[in-house]
Amino acid sequence: MLGFGLGSNIKAGISTLKTSKGRSFGIMLGIIIGVTSVITILAIGDGIKTQISGQIHKYGKDIIIVKPSQLNLGSTSGAPLSSLNILSPLTYRDINTVNHVNGVSASAPVTLVPGTPKGDYGAYHQGFVIGTSASFPSLINQSLAYGDFFSDSNNNNGDEVAVLGQTAAEAMFKENVPLGASFTFHGQTFVVDGIFNTFDSTPLSQQANFNDAIFIPNSIAESFTNNTAPTYEIFARSTDPNQAAITAKNVASALDVAHGGSSNITVNTGTQDLASNNSIVNLTTGLVAGVAGISLLVAGIGIMNVMLVSVSERVREIGIRKAVGATNRQIRNQFIAEATFLSLSGALIGIILSFLIELGIRLVTSLTPIITWQSVIIVTGISLLVGIVFGTVPAIKASTKDPIEALRAE
Amino acid sequence: MALIELQDVSKLYGFGDATTLALDEVSLTINKGEFVAVMGPSGCGKSTLMNVIGLLDKPSHGQYRLDGKLVSRLSANQSAKIRRDKIGFIFQFFNLLPKLTALENVALPLTYKGMSVTKRLKIASEMLDRVGVQSREYYLPGQLSGGQLQCVAIARALVNNPQIIIADEPTGNLDSGSSRLVMELLAEIHKMGNTIIFVTHNPELTRFATRVVYMHDGGIIHDEASTIGRVATTARKVLYTIPATREEDDLAGVSLLMKALPSKSSVAKQPVIKVKKPRTIKSKAKAK
Ligand SMILES: Nc1ncnc2c1ncn2[C@@H]1O[C@H](COP(=O)(O)OP(=O)(O)O)[C@@H](O)[C@H]1O
Ligand SMILES: [Mg+2]
Repeated sequence: MLGFGLGSNIKAGISTLKTSKGRSFGIMLGIIIGVTSVITILAIGDGIKTQISGQIHKYGKDIIIVKPSQLNLGSTSGAPLSSLNILSPLTYRDINTVNHVNGVSASAPVTLVPGTPKGDYGAYHQGFVIGTSASFPSLINQSLAYGDFFSDSNNNNGDEVAVLGQTAAEAMFKENVPLGASFTFHGQTFVVDGIFNTFDSTPLSQQANFNDAIFIPNSIAESFTNNTAPTYEIFARSTDPNQAAITAKNVASALDVAHGGSSNITVNTGTQDLASNNSIVNLTTGLVAGVAGISLLVAGIGIMNVMLVSVSERVREIGIRKAVGATNRQIRNQFIAEATFLSLSGALIGIILSFLIELGIRLVTSLTPIITWQSVIIVTGISLLVGIVFGTVPAIKASTKDPIEALRAE
Repeated sequence: MALIELQDVSKLYGFGDATTLALDEVSLTINKGEFVAVMGPSGCGKSTLMNVIGLLDKPSHGQYRLDGKLVSRLSANQSAKIRRDKIGFIFQFFNLLPKLTALENVALPLTYKGMSVTKRLKIASEMLDRVGVQSREYYLPGQLSGGQLQCVAIARALVNNPQIIIADEPTGNLDSGSSRLVMELLAEIHKMGNTIIFVTHNPELTRFATRVVYMHDGGIIHDEASTIGRVATTARKVLYTIPATREEDDLAGVSLLMKALPSKSSVAKQPVIKVKKPRTIKSKAKAK
C-alpha cells in the first residue's frame, strides 16, 4: 500500500519536518513519551523479575517460604519489613508448627525485634534487629565474611550473641571486623560473633536491607517481647529437596490445623514463589505499560489533528500534484507516509531515550532494567500502526480535494 | 483526426441564484499540431475551458472526446492518469512546489509514473537544459525570477512528453522579455509536433498561433486561422488602436477587441463593465 514512491514520500516527510519543526515535534512528542515509557516500564519489570529469580536461585528452588497471605512483593528477596505485610504477621507458635512438620529439616524465622541497638558510637537508628535461628545462613545460602553464625545451643541457651550485616558493622563500630565487640540492646550486652558478607540488595527491598540488620537468637527476641515479636517470614528446607513441594503442602496443612482449620498463611517453594512474584510483576508492569500504550493512541489523535491542519494548509500543493497527474491514491499514500514517517521518527527517538534512561537507572540504582528486542519491535509496530491509522483520515481528506478548487486556494 | 472535440459543452458553477454559467454550450474541435490562442475578457470562461480540456474539471453538460475517446465521464483516477501521460499544464502563477528544487519540481510528474529517482532526475535535468535553466537545477522557486520560474514550469509540463500543452496565461505574470522567451519556447515545442492551447490577453502573442479563438460570456464568438509570425486579423485591428501593449492595457485592449469583432453588436456594449475586474486580478497578481 505504501510501496509507491516511498523515497519521495519520506523526503516529503522530512521536508515537513524541516519546515515546521515545532509542529513536527508536537506530532512526535506524544509518540516519544509513549514509546519511552512503555519500553522503560517493561525493561524495569524484566529487570525486577531477573533479580528476583536470581535471588530465588541463590536460596535454592527447594526453599520453602512461609509468609502471611498478602500482596507481598518484597519478602522473598529478603524484605520482611515492607509495609505490605505488616498486618498479620506470624507468631512464635507458627515457628514451632513449621519446625515440627515431617520432612522439614531446618527452618529459620525472620522476626523483627522492636528497639534500637546502641553501639560504640551511640544508638543505631537505621539498623534493625532480627531474631532468627542457627539455620538462617544455610537456608538463604548467605556466607559470613568473618566469625561464625550463632549455633542452635546459643539459641537454646538464650546467649547474647549477634551477627551483623556489613553496613551495621561499620555504622556501629566504624570498622569492618568488630568481632568480639559489644553493643547493648534492651539493656542486655551482646557480643558480635560474626559479620555477614554483603547481601545482594534488590530493588524492592531497598528500605529493608539485611546489610543494615543485626541478627540475634530468636529465643532472646521472644523473651524481650513476651512472645509478641512479629515474624514476617519463615524459611524452611525439606529433608529431601525433591519433595519440597510436598513438604510445603504438609507445612501449609499443619499451619491450617494449628489455626483451627484455615490459616491466612501462604506456603510456597522457591519455584512457586518465583512464579507468583513474576505474575505480580507481570501484572503490574503490564498494567502500567498498558496505560503508557494508551498514551500512544492519544498521540495518534494528536498526529491526526496536526496532519489535518497541515492538509488544509497544503491544499494548493495538493492541487498542483493532482494537475501533474497524481491520483487520489498517490496523494493519500503521500500523506499516510508522512504521518508514518513522523510517528516512526518519534518511536526511534523514544527508543534511543529508553536506552539512555536504562543506562541512567543502571548507574544510579541497583536495578538493571532489561530492554528486550521484543518490546522494541512491538512498540515500533504500534507506532507504525498509529501513524498509518491516524494518518489515514487526513490523507483521505487530502486525496479527495477537487483539483480545481485546490489550485484556486491561496 | 480531431485530437480535442468538444460538443455543446457547458459548465455551471454554484447552485440556485448563485449559479454561474462559465461555459455555455461550447463546441470546439482542435486537431493535432494546432497552436491555438484563446482570447477574451476576464471571466469569460477561458480558464474553465482550459480546465475542461485538461481534464482538471468536468463539463456539466455536453461531450468531450480526447483522441476519439469519450472522457467527460471518466473517474477521477482515470483522469489523473490521462493528465499525467497526455497533458502538460502551464499556469499564470507557475504553480511550482516551493519546497522542492527546480529539478525536483520538473521530475514531479515522473514520480507519479513510478519511475526511479535517478532516472527521473536525469530526465528532468535534460528537460531543464532544453528550456535553458539547467544552471538553476538546485535552486528553490523562491530564488528564481518570473521568467525562470515559467521555464521550469514549462520543463515540468514537457517532462512526460505530453501530446497537449495547455497554458493558461503563461505570460500573464511576466515582463515582455520573459514573455517572448516563454512564447519562443512554446513555438519550439509546437514545431516538434505538440498541440498547444494558450490563453492570452496580449494580441501581439497571436503571432505565435496558427488559430485564434475569441470568447465572451462563456461562449466562442469568433474563431479564425492565423499565420505564424503575423498578428491575427481581428487582434490586429485592436493592436493598432492601442499604442503599446503593456500589461495595464491588455484587458482594455481585449475589450476593444470585442468592438473590432465583425458581428455580435451586443458584445460591444459590455466593455465598460468589464474593465473593473482586471484591476482586482492584477492587484492579486502583485500581492503574490
Ligand atoms: N470554482 C468556481 N466557482 C464558482 N464560479 C466560478 C468558479 N470558477 C470560475 N467561476 C466563474 O466562471 C466564470 C468563468 O471563469 P474563468 O473560466 O476563470 O474565466 P477567465 O479565465 O476567462 O477569466 C467567471 O464568472 C467565474 O467567476
Ligand atoms: Mg483565467
